[in-house]
Amino acid sequence: MVLYSFYIFDRHTECIYSRRWTPRPTSSSGKTARPQSGSSITSGDGTVTNRRNMSHADDEKLIFGLVFSLRNMVQKLGGEDDTFLSYRTGEYKLHYYETPTRMKFVMLTDTKQNNLRPYLHQIWANLYVEYVVKNPLAPVEHPGGVGVANEMFERGLDTFITAVLPA
Amino acid sequence: MLVVFALFIISKAGGLIYNREFHTGLSKLSSNDYLMLAGSFHGMHAITKQLCPAPPTPNVQPASAAGLAPSPFSSRPTGIEVLESSHFRAQCFQTLTGTKFLLFTEPQQPNIDSIMRKIYDLYADFVMKNPFYTVEMPIRCEKFDRGLDGFVKVRS
Repeated sequence: MVLYSFYIFDRHTECIYSRRWTPRPTSSSGKTARPQSGSSITSGDGTVTNRRNMSHADDEKLIFGLVFSLRNMVQKLGGEDDTFLSYRTGEYKLHYYETPTRMKFVMLTDTKQNNLRPYLHQIWANLYVEYVVKNPLAPVEHPGGVGVANEMFERGLDTFITAVLPA
Repeated sequence: MLVVFALFIISKAGGLIYNREFHTGLSKLSSNDYLMLAGSFHGMHAITKQLCPAPPTPNVQPASAAGLAPSPFSSRPTGIEVLESSHFRAQCFQTLTGTKFLLFTEPQQPNIDSIMRKIYDLYADFVMKNPFYTVEMPIRCEKFDRGLDGFVKVRS
């Protein structure tokens, strides 16, 4: 499986943690060789050039806005107790988990992955709560990601991902 | 057993041109809300294209193939194809001209692709071939309605 990136957003819409993995070259070459149906002629011109000019911070803002709108759309259509789980495009799949305190955990993987919501829940419960929330030196809020990317959390995340999501 | 909640057709400009509910299960919304949902889905679809994390396609045109026009269809990311929530599943199909079909079904519904294909067939037959239909305008074709009814209701 290919893991592209992982983001944590706090309840103030800010991205407090982000992590990217470069995909393995074998899968990406196979992906680009495949013709994609369902793409439109009318839109998407110059997406590749746009991508180069976009920074990672722009990506984070786009992802936050996107999951926020999708979550609202899902709740509007399915009722208040409906939750947005994931979406898939021809190239990648986005998994979503929201804690009761409105922190959002987002993971981007390849399209064949089943729903990762239980894993995102575990990352929150076993890693974020243990190493960030229970850290006596960490601030209550994390403006700019202060206190989240500590050594224990990073190492725990690495171990967790290699253990439960074998490459 | 086929449970299809609703079908939206969104024009390439993001306007809702067809909206039909087949089975109760989704919240009832006002027509204004449906228009807003269609418009925001159009925008979100465009953003999901932008977010494609796979490395940008390298220019794989070898020198020998330089005479051929590059295909406009390869290497362009698709937007949302399937959206899953705990209560429903939305399948989006975008035609080559940019019209989007958004089909809401139960979460575990199998072979939605063939249902979508059939709906696209009905659209091509009864909407696009209708001489009184203006493209990009709301779809009011009785035969299309009846075709959808016949297809969706018979199978449910």
